[in-house]
Amino acid sequence: MTDGKKKRTHVIRKPPKAPPPKWNPRIVVFACNWCSYAGADTAGVSRIQHQPHFRMIRVMCSGRIQPGFVLRAFERGADGVLVSGCHFGDCHYVNGNERAVEQFEKTMNIVKLLGLEEGRLRLEWISAAEGARFAQVINEFTDQVRDLGPSPLNGQNHTEKTQTEST
Amino acid sequence: MDAGRHPLIDVVTNAEVISCEGEPGDFRARVRKSPRYVHEDLCVACGLCTDVCPQVGGNEFDVGLKARKAIYRPFPQSVPSTYVIDPDACLNLYGCLSEKQRLKLEKIQKLKHRKKDDYQPSLLACGHCLKACNVDAIDFDMRPEEFEVDAGAVLVAIGFKEFDARKLGNYGYGRFPNVVTSLEFERMLNASGVTQGHVVRPSDMETPKRIVFIQCVGARGEGGRPYCSRFCCMNAVKDSMLVRQHDPEVEDVTILYTDLRAFGKGYDDFVQRSKDEKSADYVRGRPAKIDFVPEDDTLEVFVEDTLGHNQRRIPADMVVLSVAAAPNDGAKKLAKILGIEVDQHGFIARRDPAVSAVETTREGMYACGSAVGPQVIPDCVAQASAGAARAQLFLTGHRVEEEKEPVEPMDLSGPPRVGVLVCHCGINIAGLLDVKKLARGAGVIPDVVVSKTHLFACSSAGQDELVKMIEEYDLNRIVVAACTPRTHEPVFREACAEIGFNPYLLEMVNIRDQCSWVHVEDREGAQEKAKALIRMGIAKVRHLQPLEAGEVPMNRSALVVGGGIGGIQAAMDLAFQGLPVTLVEKTNRLGGRLAEPNVKYLYPNMRPAAEILTEKVKRLEASGARVLLNTEVEDIKGFVGNFEISIKGKTQETLQVGAIILAVGADLHDPAGEYGSGKLSNVVTSQDLERRFFDLDKGGSLSPDGGQPSSASFILCVGSRDPEGFTGCSRYCCPTAIKQALELCKKGIDTTIFYRDIRTISFGAEEMYREARGHGVLFVRIPSDHKAEVIGDGRATAVRCFDDLLGRTLEVPTDLVVLSVGMKPRQPETDRFHDMLKASVGLDGFFLERHPELAPVETVVEGVLLAGTVQGPKDIVDTVAQASAAAAKASVFLAFDKVKLDPIVAAVVEEKCRACGTCIDICPFHAPEFVEDPPGVTVARINASLCKGCGTCASWCPSGAIVCKHFTDRQMHAMIDAFFDEEPEPVAVDDAKEQVAR
Repeated sequence: MTDGKKKRTHVIRKPPKAPPPKWNPRIVVFACNWCSYAGADTAGVSRIQHQPHFRMIRVMCSGRIQPGFVLRAFERGADGVLVSGCHFGDCHYVNGNERAVEQFEKTMNIVKLLGLEEGRLRLEWISAAEGARFAQVINEFTDQVRDLGPSPLNGQNHTEKTQTEST
Repeated sequence: MDAGRHPLIDVVTNAEVISCEGEPGDFRARVRKSPRYVHEDLCVACGLCTDVCPQVGGNEFDVGLKARKAIYRPFPQSVPSTYVIDPDACLNLYGCLSEKQRLKLEKIQKLKHRKKDDYQPSLLACGHCLKACNVDAIDFDMRPEEFEVDAGAVLVAIGFKEFDARKLGNYGYGRFPNVVTSLEFERMLNASGVTQGHVVRPSDMETPKRIVFIQCVGARGEGGRPYCSRFCCMNAVKDSMLVRQHDPEVEDVTILYTDLRAFGKGYDDFVQRSKDEKSADYVRGRPAKIDFVPEDDTLEVFVEDTLGHNQRRIPADMVVLSVAAAPNDGAKKLAKILGIEVDQHGFIARRDPAVSAVETTREGMYACGSAVGPQVIPDCVAQASAGAARAQLFLTGHRVEEEKEPVEPMDLSGPPRVGVLVCHCGINIAGLLDVKKLARGAGVIPDVVVSKTHLFACSSAGQDELVKMIEEYDLNRIVVAACTPRTHEPVFREACAEIGFNPYLLEMVNIRDQCSWVHVEDREGAQEKAKALIRMGIAKVRHLQPLEAGEVPMNRSALVVGGGIGGIQAAMDLAFQGLPVTLVEKTNRLGGRLAEPNVKYLYPNMRPAAEILTEKVKRLEASGARVLLNTEVEDIKGFVGNFEISIKGKTQETLQVGAIILAVGADLHDPAGEYGSGKLSNVVTSQDLERRFFDLDKGGSLSPDGGQPSSASFILCVGSRDPEGFTGCSRYCCPTAIKQALELCKKGIDTTIFYRDIRTISFGAEEMYREARGHGVLFVRIPSDHKAEVIGDGRATAVRCFDDLLGRTLEVPTDLVVLSVGMKPRQPETDRFHDMLKASVGLDGFFLERHPELAPVETVVEGVLLAGTVQGPKDIVDTVAQASAAAAKASVFLAFDKVKLDPIVAAVVEEKCRACGTCIDICPFHAPEFVEDPPGVTVARINASLCKGCGTCASWCPSGAIVCKHFTDRQMHAMIDAFFDEEPEPVAVDDAKEQVAR
C-alpha cells in the first residue's frame, strides 16, 4: 500500500545536498517557554530548515537565564551561546526579558574578560510566530561561530574546576 | 490553543447552526458539521498527505498569496491541528458527494461506458493521501453530520470580512497587481507568512521603494459604509514602522489619512514615535484615483493634500488599501436562524449599545467582537469576556464540578530509575532519525533501566505502554522523546497522574518539531542532536523532584470598589450567579458620572442617562448584591482567594473575599487657567454644560451670564494629547462634544468645534458626526502643535486659532466657550489602591492591565481585576463591557472552593537568605516578602499563590538562596554538562537492557 511512504523515505535518504563543513560548532541555546521555544516549534511546523548544531534548553522566562548558566556552557566547551526570549512588551511575566538584558550584559562583560570573542554570545528576541526568524538566527549564529573556530576554552582540562564549583 | 485544550470546551469546526429553538436557559440548537474527510482523533498532523497531494489551490489564510494543496492544514497553529480536505479541489470528486449526487454521477458514467458490461466507476480518482496516511485517518465516506446541542445561552462571535475594494474602481484594486489590501500586506510582513516578512510587489517580486497607504477605503462614507473601522489607522502606522525596520530598501512611506484615530491606550505615543522616527510621511487627504504608469510599471496616486493646500501626484511602487470591516456574509442568515436582528449595516444588532455592548435583541443571546461592529483587539477580548459573563447567568446550576477519584500516590523515592520512551511519530521522527539506535543509546546511560520505542507515544496504546513500563520496571523517572512539551506534556503528565506517578518526574525531549522536522538536510547532525537532547533530558530527570500542586481555600465572594456604572455592572453580573458580592461606594449615591447632574443624554440614541441608571440600579438591587454607601476601603491584605479587607463606613468591618474588582473611575481634567477658564465668565467645561442642560429644565440658563448664548465654541483635547500632561486620547470627548453641539445647534445656537482629529470611534458616533455637519456645526481643525486662544476681557468674545485646512488664522466670535476636558487618573484612590494591592500603574497614571490583548482586565496581581476608566479613559459602552469582562474573570476564580496553585514556583532556602531584598525589588508580582521567622531573624519568603514561576528571582538572588522549582540550577547545570559529556557507544550492551531495547 505504501507507494507514497516509500517515495517519502527515499526523498529523505538522499545524501545531503552540500557536503557538511568539516568542523561544526557546539552551541547552547537558552529559550523561554512562551516565545522563543515556541518560535522554534513554529519553525518545525512550517518545516523551515536550519543547521542542527545547537541544543535547546528551555526555561519558563528569559529572566531565569543567569550568568552562571552561560559561563558553565562555555566552561564545558560550548563554542557559542544564544540567549533568547520574548520581544519587549510581550513578556509573559511582565518584564522578565528586561531583567534578562541586564543579566546578559553582565555575562557579556565576563565573557569578554575571559578572553572569549564577543561573537560567541548573542541575545535575540524571537516571538512564537517567528519560525522563519528563528531558523535565520540559528543559521547566522552557527555560521558566525563556525567562522570564529573552536572556543579557546575548549579542550582544556576543566574537570577539577567543575567539581569544586558544582552545586 | 488554550481553548482547544480546555476540558470544558468542545471545539466543533466546519460546522454551522441550522436551527435554534427554546428559551433563555434552555436553547436547543441543531448543528450541521460538514465533513473534513479526516478523522480528528486519528490524525497526527504529520503532513505526509499534503506532500503527496497533486492538487494545488490558493491558500485562504494567506489571502491567496500562497498555494496550498487540496488536503491541508489551514495554518500552522490551527485548532484542531487536524488536516482537512477541500472538497472543491480534491480529485476524489465522487467521494465527496452526497449519496444522491454520487448515484446520479455513477449512472452518467455507466451510460458513457455502457458498452463495457462490467464497468465499475472509480470512486477514487486519486487516493494518494489515503496511501500516504500511516494512521488511516483519511475517510472519504464521511458525511455531513447533524446533531443537537443543549445550551443555556448563545454567544455570537462571527467576526467580520474585509470590504471588497474592487467596488471602488478608482483605486484599481484587482486591475493593478501592485495595489494590495492591508490584509495581503500584513501576510507579507508576517515573519511566518508568504514571503517570510519581505514585502514584495506582486507584479515583479521586487521590494517596493515607495509605498503609499490609503486609509478609510470603504469606510466613513465611502462605498456606502458610514462607520469607522477603528483598527485601520493604527494598523497602517504599525505596518509602516515594521516595513521600514525590515527592509532598509524602502525609501518612502506615505499614509493618506482623514483623521488619525489613535484612540487606545498608548496609541498616541506610538504615532508620535512613528513621527519622531520619520517612519512615514502623513498626508491628510483622500485620493481621487490611482493611475498605472506603464512605462516603468509604477503607480501614481492623485490626492489633494488638505493641509498642504495643493494637489499632489504621489508616485508609488506599491499602494496598500486599508480596507474597512464589513459584516460577515452569514450574519443575516445566522441572525434569522437565531431570531435576532441585524443593524442597518448588517452587523448583529444590540438592544441598546449604550447600555450593554453584548446584549442582542433576544434574551439569552449575546454577540461580541467584530460581529457587532469593527473593534480593536483589546476591546474584542474585553467584550468576549463580557459576553461570557452574561451567558453565565443562564448556566448557574449547570456548573461542572471537577472531582476526580483521588489516586494513591506511588512511592517514587530511592535512586533514580529512569525509563525512556522514544516516539517514532509514524515516520515523522523515524523517517529521518534512527529511533531504535536512539533508544539503544539511551539504554546504556547510567540510571536508565529501560528504553523503548513506540510508533505513536501519545496514542492511547503509547500511554498504556508508558504505564506498563513504570509498573514493570518500578520506574521513578520518565523521559519521553517525542514532540514539543508545549502541546504534549499535559497528555503524558495526565497519563502519569492517573496511576499516581508524580507528573513532575517526567521530562519531554523535543526530537520532532525541533529536530526531525527542521534538519532534513543534515541527517547525521540531526541524529547527533537527538542523541544529545535525550542525554540532556535524562540528566535533568535525575534531578527532578516530585512536586505537588498546592491548594489554598477560596472565599467564594467578591468585593467591588466603586459604585459607578462599571461597579454596578460588575457587581450585578457576579451577584446574579449567586455569589456574595459587596459593593463599596465612597459617596452617598450610586451612579458615579452617570448620575444627575453629570450627564443628561447618552449618545448615540439620546436616551436619558437617568433612565439607564435607574434600570441598572434596579437590576443591581434584584441581584442581591450588598451595597454599602458612604464607605471606604481602609486596608487590603492577602492574596487571591484570601483577601482580607477592612472597610470603614457606618461601622468598621472586615470582609473576607476571593477576588477584588477595582472600579473607582477616573477624574476629569481641571482646566484651571487654561483657555481663560476661571478668569473669563463664559468659559465652561463640558461637564458644566451638561449640568446646565439640567438647569435649563428647572428654569436656569445655558450661559453662565444668563440667557441663551447666540453662539458657542467647543475646544477639544483639553487635558488630553498634551505632551506635557496626559499624552493619550480620552476617547469619550469627541462624540460627547458633537452630541452637545448638536443639542445647542437644535436650539438655534451657532456652534463651532475646534478639533485636532475627530475620533468618533464608538458605535453610531460617526453617523452623529455626519448629522452634526448636516446641521451646520462648523468644524475647525487645529494643527497639533498649535493651541486655540480664547480672547476676551472678563468675558470671552472670540476664539482665535490657526485653521489647518484654510491655512490661515481665524477669529470666531463666540458667546460661550466649552472646554471638552479629558480624563485623568483618580487621585488619591489610584495611589492608595496601588499601595495596598501592589497592582502596577502605567506611565499615564492609570492602572496597568496585564496584557493589552490577552488580559485586558486582569492586573499582575492574581484576583485583582479592573473595570472601567480605572484602566484608562473610555465611554459608557466600553466601561460596561469591561465591567462584565472583569466579572467573568472573577467568576473563573470564584467557581471553585479552592485555588489550585501551579507547583512550578520559586522558593527561598531560608538558611541561605541574607534578607537583601533583591527578590522583593525585582518581582513584578510581589510574591516575595520579608518575614521574621524565628522572631528577630528576617528572611524573604515567597508566597506560592502569587508566584508565577518565571524564575527571575532565582537568577538574581546574590546568595543563591532561591530555588526555581523544576528549573533548578542543578537541573540546568546537569543539562548543560550532559551536552558535552559524550557517552560511550553502546557496543557491549547488557543482556537485560538489550532485551527491552527493541
